[in-house]
Amino acid sequence: MKVFKFGISLLITVALTYCLNRGWDFGTPIPPLGKFLDPFHGFWANAESRSVPDHELPIDGLRDKVSVVYDSLLIPHIFANNDDDLYRVMGYVTAQHRLWQMEFQTHAAAGRVSEIIGDKALDFDRNQRRLGMVYGAENATKAHMADSVIGRMNRAYTEGVNAYIAGLTYEGFPLEYKLLDYAPEPWTELKMGLLLKNMSKTLNIGEDDFQMTNALNLFGKEMLDILYPDQEGVGDPIVDNPGGWRFDAVKLDTVPLALPDQLVNIEPATQVVRGVGSNNWAVSGLKTANGSPILANDPHLSLSMPSIWFAAHMKSPNVNVMGVTFTGSPVIILGFNDSISWGATNAQRDLVDWYKIQFKDNSKNEYLSDGVWKKTNKVVEKFEIKNDEPFYDTVVYTHHGPVVYDDSFHGDSERKYYAFRWIAHDESLELKTFYLLNHARNHKDYMAALDYFSGPAQNFVFASTEGDIAMRIQGKYPVRRKDEGKFVLDGTNTSNEWQAYIPNDQNVMTKNPARGFVSSANQYPVDATYPYYVHSNVYEAYRNRRINNRLRQMEEITPQDMMTLQNDNYNIQAEESLLFMLSHLDSSSLTPEQERIRIELKNWGYINDAQSTAATYYEVWYNTLYRNIWDEMQNQNVALSLPSDFVTIHLMKTDSTLSYYDVQSTPEKEDLHQLINQAFKRSIEIVEQWKTENTNPPQWGYFKDTGIGHLLRLEPFSKKVVNGGNGNAINATTGSHGPSWRLIASMEKTGVKAWGVYPGGQSGNPGSPFYDNLVDPWANGRYFRLHFPHSEKETAGYRYFISTFNPTSR
Amino acid sequence: MRLLIQIIITAVVCFMFQKLFPWWSMAIGAFLVGFVFSNTGAKSFLAGFVAVALLWFGLSLYIDANTQSILTEKVSQLFPVNLFVLTTLIGGLVGGFASMTGSLLKP
Repeated sequence: MKVFKFGISLLITVALTYCLNRGWDFGTPIPPLGKFLDPFHGFWANAESRSVPDHELPIDGLRDKVSVVYDSLLIPHIFANNDDDLYRVMGYVTAQHRLWQMEFQTHAAAGRVSEIIGDKALDFDRNQRRLGMVYGAENATKAHMADSVIGRMNRAYTEGVNAYIAGLTYEGFPLEYKLLDYAPEPWTELKMGLLLKNMSKTLNIGEDDFQMTNALNLFGKEMLDILYPDQEGVGDPIVDNPGGWRFDAVKLDTVPLALPDQLVNIEPATQVVRGVGSNNWAVSGLKTANGSPILANDPHLSLSMPSIWFAAHMKSPNVNVMGVTFTGSPVIILGFNDSISWGATNAQRDLVDWYKIQFKDNSKNEYLSDGVWKKTNKVVEKFEIKNDEPFYDTVVYTHHGPVVYDDSFHGDSERKYYAFRWIAHDESLELKTFYLLNHARNHKDYMAALDYFSGPAQNFVFASTEGDIAMRIQGKYPVRRKDEGKFVLDGTNTSNEWQAYIPNDQNVMTKNPARGFVSSANQYPVDATYPYYVHSNVYEAYRNRRINNRLRQMEEITPQDMMTLQNDNYNIQAEESLLFMLSHLDSSSLTPEQERIRIELKNWGYINDAQSTAATYYEVWYNTLYRNIWDEMQNQNVALSLPSDFVTIHLMKTDSTLSYYDVQSTPEKEDLHQLINQAFKRSIEIVEQWKTENTNPPQWGYFKDTGIGHLLRLEPFSKKVVNGGNGNAINATTGSHGPSWRLIASMEKTGVKAWGVYPGGQSGNPGSPFYDNLVDPWANGRYFRLHFPHSEKETAGYRYFISTFNPTSR
Repeated sequence: MRLLIQIIITAVVCFMFQKLFPWWSMAIGAFLVGFVFSNTGAKSFLAGFVAVALLWFGLSLYIDANTQSILTEKVSQLFPVNLFVLTTLIGGLVGGFASMTGSLLKP
């Protein structure tokens, strides 16, 4: 009996322990509860207190002692005696604060999310691999590792990250590993390539070749050019230098453009987000109060926790640089050093093409090119899936690139195969650009650094303590014939392929222009005399004008003025459309409440501040109208892009007869006048509905409801903010996107002064006081002075704690 | 009295085990103490349960207070049950069964 009792009791104990030591999935995943809740090693161990004592850490491979002084924002100031140690410790320190994010981002880039969260991510993962993200990252990594300086830097950084990982036990794992029950793997040089491809996908995959092909076939070329013009003809281009392009441009032989004559029945797997952009500018000393140039930059990205950026100050005898890095890169990506500052905005250009492939037969072993059958290369991609068998996917590569869509992936029964040509597939050496910018002393060094940069193409702004300001649009741009690349291309004919690239010294650039400032906001890049065809799926029409109007007027500029400008909520789109919309309202038919709102809108100053209710009514009215005008495009069963806000408003004001004004779901025939009135009444209903579901007043800040979501979309780890802005305002904060980093740098000869802020915090740990401490200051337009000491001694006034890294004795 | 001593010793042994080894090591600690004391099954369960429950509750409470609940507030939104209750209960159950098993091993 006793033995029996013992047996039962033992069985229960072992079974209980086993069940609590592994994760379960009952629809929602449950972490291993015993492991997770154990206060010694589980999630409790991730809670951090504010007091951190100074401490010493030994790491392998270090040549000399390295001091890392943290300031009150938890920004590390790394003081090393040589560059190898600097990059090694940078890797270690970044991993200390952001390891889970570093790995998760690169897993996402590599199409490996299913490993962590199961088969719901499989479509995403397959798309990543089929786009050639890993293929591109491998090519980039090959080039980086072949460069002696960059290869050495990447190795030191990688070893630094891995030194941190090697010292980890379950107790020290970042919280997300514990929640999802997996462990970190070693960092690799390839992961740095993957990070670069992630940015390329965010910034340089923008295209709508399928959508344009469909629009061409549905609406005709004439209408297409009205709805989707190459250039909206508004505002200043980034560089306005008519007649100043004195070089022999590369010429291609002329071939007649063959327009595709079929619809593309493919649901694109890559969603291109509109209204993502960035601002940067630099004003010369002639326009500033103290005579030194000031540089400003705010790249707008999807807002996420942890932030894509990690701020750091890196100092060795060769370099003294500060700013932000992509979490997982060894260099400062945007920032300043003792002599120069730089920033970037996205430089849209068509860098993607789809080639229609003709396979010889179903085996897809051969495809036609210039009349001969070429061999394909098949790559079998293996996807590990959490709690499931692995999935295998065969991706067919042509010389153009991978065939993304086929009968097994988003393709249709008609079997239309399109190969994907993307600039980010090519070998490139971007980290060398940033390495050289980190070390640059003047404009000449900046120019030399940018020569290594192929993509994602950026508008690089520059200012120096010597007094220079500059802008250069840098990327590897194929030379295009007019309209080439706008639609899907015939893959059987090599004359359609990228034949040549614009030489670096023929890219768009300017230095110290007469107007006393340079600026970019993703608008059309260059004046009409530039000898190359320039085209993109979208160019910005509003922010750039507000920036330039303000900069032209401003004199005696201070850094404070630049902060105010970065947070400017003026809405030019409203200024150009609201009066017109109001003029169409039949005020006799309005209820007293509707009339009250009409008056409120009439008296509104077009400023999308957080407290404005007029902004809410305008935005809802305009968006309702916009959707009703283009309803026929959203109802098509092939993919189409909607015309831009600028084109929509321009057409409303200039053409009252467009057939699009008729709402297709109603039997009546609407005209623009009716549509504007209907949309007005409907928008008030929408706001009323919102009021019943929310306790706050319908002020723009509450209505817009900006969220900074955790990368796993876990609500408790996400943040909400109440602030102003709009995708078309300089403060381009929408519900999900916004200024991901704000920098102001005053390039004073006596020492660079800089201020910055980003929506997040230095720690990636939701259990740290530094996880989200910068979010509210960011939302309120506040900045922090970025301490930029030249020695450890100078940090005395703002030291939080010091980590001292010592070489391990062998 | 004997029960109280068993509780205290279980808590101390489990604390030391968990300082060095993963979470399940406390089951071995509770098992060993249960074996040494060889109380009746029910009493031994009680001793193991109370000891580990108090240990886990105490440490989680200490961490929570020391960190101004910074993480407790967030993680508790992911669970339908109060985190302290869940932590205490799970620690207690494993400790209790392990301790009981130990006591039942004695012939």
